[in-house]
Amino acid sequence: MTKLISRAGSLLHNTTHKQQIDRELTEEVSSYVEMLTEEKMKNGMNEQDARRAALVEVGGVEQVKEEVRASRSGSGLESFVMDLRYGMRSLLKKPGFTITAVVALALGIGANTAIFSVINGVLLRSLSYANPDTIVMVWERGATERNARNVVSPANYLDWQKQSMSFDQMAATVEQRVNLTGGRGEPEEIKAQFVSQGFFPALGEQPMLGRSFLAEEDTVGKELVIILSHELWQTRFGSDPAVIGKQATISGRQRTIVGVMPPGFHFLDNQVRAWMPMALDPAIDYRGKSGRYLKVVARLKPGVTVQQAQGELTGIAKQLEQTHVKFNTGWSVNVVPMHEQVVGEIRPILIVLLAAVAFVLLIACANVANLLLSRAASRQRELALRAALGASRGRLVRQMLTESVLLALMGGLVGVLLAYWGIQLLIGFGPDNIPRLGEITIDPRVLGFTFGISLLTGGLFGLIPALQASRPDLNDALKEGSRGSTGGRSRTLRNVFVITEVALALVLLIGAGLMIRSFVRLQSVETGFNPENVLTMRLQLPRKNYGEPHQILDFFKRAEERIAALPGVQVVGAISYLPLTGPAARDGFKVVGRPEPAPGQEPGVEVRVITPGYFQAMGIPLIKGRLLDERDGKDSRLLLINETMAKKYFPNEDPVGKQIIVTWSDGVVDEIVGIVGDIREGALNKEPETAIYWPHPREPYSGMALVVRAAGDAARLSTVVPKEIRAIDPEQPVADLRTMKQVVAKSIARPRFNTVLLAIFAGVALVLASVGLYGVMNYSATQRTHEVGIRMALGAMRADIMRLVVGNGMLLTLIGIGIGVAASVGLTRLMQSFLFGIGTTDALTFIAVSALLIAVALVANYIPARKATRVNPVIALRYE
Amino acid sequence: MSARDDDFKADLLQGTLHLLVLKALVAQPLHGLGVSNRISQITNGTFDVKPGSLFPALHRMEEAGWLKAEWGESENKRRAKFYSLTKAGRRQLDTETEDWQRISIAMTSALRAS
Repeated sequence: MTKLISRAGSLLHNTTHKQQIDRELTEEVSSYVEMLTEEKMKNGMNEQDARRAALVEVGGVEQVKEEVRASRSGSGLESFVMDLRYGMRSLLKKPGFTITAVVALALGIGANTAIFSVINGVLLRSLSYANPDTIVMVWERGATERNARNVVSPANYLDWQKQSMSFDQMAATVEQRVNLTGGRGEPEEIKAQFVSQGFFPALGEQPMLGRSFLAEEDTVGKELVIILSHELWQTRFGSDPAVIGKQATISGRQRTIVGVMPPGFHFLDNQVRAWMPMALDPAIDYRGKSGRYLKVVARLKPGVTVQQAQGELTGIAKQLEQTHVKFNTGWSVNVVPMHEQVVGEIRPILIVLLAAVAFVLLIACANVANLLLSRAASRQRELALRAALGASRGRLVRQMLTESVLLALMGGLVGVLLAYWGIQLLIGFGPDNIPRLGEITIDPRVLGFTFGISLLTGGLFGLIPALQASRPDLNDALKEGSRGSTGGRSRTLRNVFVITEVALALVLLIGAGLMIRSFVRLQSVETGFNPENVLTMRLQLPRKNYGEPHQILDFFKRAEERIAALPGVQVVGAISYLPLTGPAARDGFKVVGRPEPAPGQEPGVEVRVITPGYFQAMGIPLIKGRLLDERDGKDSRLLLINETMAKKYFPNEDPVGKQIIVTWSDGVVDEIVGIVGDIREGALNKEPETAIYWPHPREPYSGMALVVRAAGDAARLSTVVPKEIRAIDPEQPVADLRTMKQVVAKSIARPRFNTVLLAIFAGVALVLASVGLYGVMNYSATQRTHEVGIRMALGAMRADIMRLVVGNGMLLTLIGIGIGVAASVGLTRLMQSFLFGIGTTDALTFIAVSALLIAVALVANYIPARKATRVNPVIALRYE
Repeated sequence: MSARDDDFKADLLQGTLHLLVLKALVAQPLHGLGVSNRISQITNGTFDVKPGSLFPALHRMEEAGWLKAEWGESENKRRAKFYSLTKAGRRQLDTETEDWQRISIAMTSALRAS
């Protein structure tokens, strides 16, 4: 204890009386030397010899003093502050070096911070529901992999809910577009979720105003209530605090507003603006009446694991397979944790992007390490002097590390600013189907990450040059006129750095190249339709005013007629599910006259209804037979099939005239009258599915997409077309008014986004690597001025010199490319799932990217080489 | 990092050095060279402590409160810093002596064992 107090006292004393202590120390050590000298003289030496012997024995006054200083309390702090000041000063003295290094580091650290903040917001931060870890999605699992997370039949959902014991709550939801009138503004189509009673309790969320749904409101006849999203409450109801109890008209029916959710609340789809009770009726035979269309969410009971819940539901599903052979054969259950559901799909690309930015940072590190090496060479005399004055090697290393960490922290600071700006860009340009994109911010964890990687990079790029430079040969370095060359070791290091940079940059460029090639392929996919000059929009007719099929059909007929009469319109059609905007209805079918397939084994088919003008408006060719037209009304038993269906199920016969039965039309036989061309309906990168088309009157959908082919630019029709709709029904909203080209572009927004990001990172990597290459080549050319002078004096030609200098750089580049290609072969496999139409080792990409890098390297080599050949031998030789 | 290695080695030697310095100062206050000579004398010339380790040890021990230092005059009328034991220093000498003896006996018997 006394020791501690005494130490603390000395620390205070040491830091406050530094100069006095130093003076006394000097006096103490020199008095020692004096006394030792006298002692030696007493023993018979002359004064000069005695003094020399004494000094030798002491081993350097300054070294002794340094030892004492180092052993004193507070020496760490003191020398740290000193290093910091010294470091700052020496960085400011070389602004060119400092700015270059800070910019390189800021690019690397900024890119890492931006991508990490995305990963933090999307992957790491837990979902915003209460206790999100116990929330799961429950899907049906079909026989094939694409059905692994299939929507759920209401009947199966009701049975699961009744029989399972693993859950506190289980709730069903389904999204629907509805028309909203009332409140402020025009009638509007909004997305809503119809939910069963357990929905809000399962997510552990409460409305911020009002209440959630009562159990009895989830029954037919009592379901006319609605809960608003915060956004809808603000935009449509002016944030009215007294909105509870007021009425909203949804698709023509009055509903009482009972609650408003807090801002940011959403379930799977952040476009949903309202929630209403689903009111399933347990008395209805849903298996006979409808397909699978629900999304089921559940809250696990405390202590129940996902595996246990999965096990229980699998057992229940097995029973249901036996009790409902026709409907359930081949169908099981798939329990997916909510977090996995939300982010599972985006995780792989985020990991690839993180790897990409890590590479950028490594290149930046190699660059700065090289700069430091060159700088250390020119600082060698300064370091040697400090060593001679008693600084130990550890002390020198520490001082240089302080400098490099200082650099890295400056880079980190600028990097955070870059990242902040970059995140705004990401959010602004990011496709809206990236989950949780709006939740990305720079929070303390991100800042901690940035600080951490700044320190790490500072150590990483600083350590090797520091170790290298802290071992100067005093004799050589201090000699007057020494050229301060750092010799072979540091040249080897520099070369290793350059090779590393080239290899890393090549991997990134190949990654980006593959993405670009894949994206170009995606864009040039044969869609099967002609998106030029086509305007599309969605119309969802409310059941209240359009309860009868003839009302629906009449509306669309009138709308098509009015629009077709507009100048500049060529042809108008409508379809139940517009291509590239989400899934269509799906069902099973069988061909009349062929053996009955086993239950669960029926081939699947996508079912759409169309009006006569649709195929012409979309530019889809008729391959065989005839199209459907006005003759094909409500009682029509005719349909069209697509080419895929014709090839797959009628390979060696003419399908026209053949008969099939679609499961949901319950035994009614349809006859094929025509074959139309395949189109990419689901996504550009998905092969066309087996599909049929019925005439609209056969299944009078109340929601259809209108497709208008114009003579010229379709966008010009976007003001006049909605007017025609309103002329028929002023209450009817027009939704998703866009050209077909916009629809196509939006469907590939995410791959475009990924491609652009990766391309940007690869571009940064290329610039950093070529700057690094240039720097090293330039440095070594300068170092070799003397040598070049001699060679030229001895008669070497410019071309020889050029070959010498460029050859050296190109050798490094080629080694780097070799390593990079080998690494790419291994790493690009991670990208398999994002690539479309090309392999992960696409030869063209590998060759083109290597060629690009070689070209850039040639330029980076050529400039210093040319400078070297301009050397005047006389001056070069006199330069000594 | 490497500083820790140095500390470790220093600790090993410091134990011995501290004890020798404390012992050297038991009889009377001495300046640096005096301490060095006295150690050489009482160890029959086995230990020749150089200023590079002596002065850091003296300063550390002073900070620890075992020694106090005063400026005085040497035999040759030269200004010099004289170190003497404090009470804490004497206590420390006793503990370290005891420790050392225990170690010494243990080591000797260990080395005799066959």
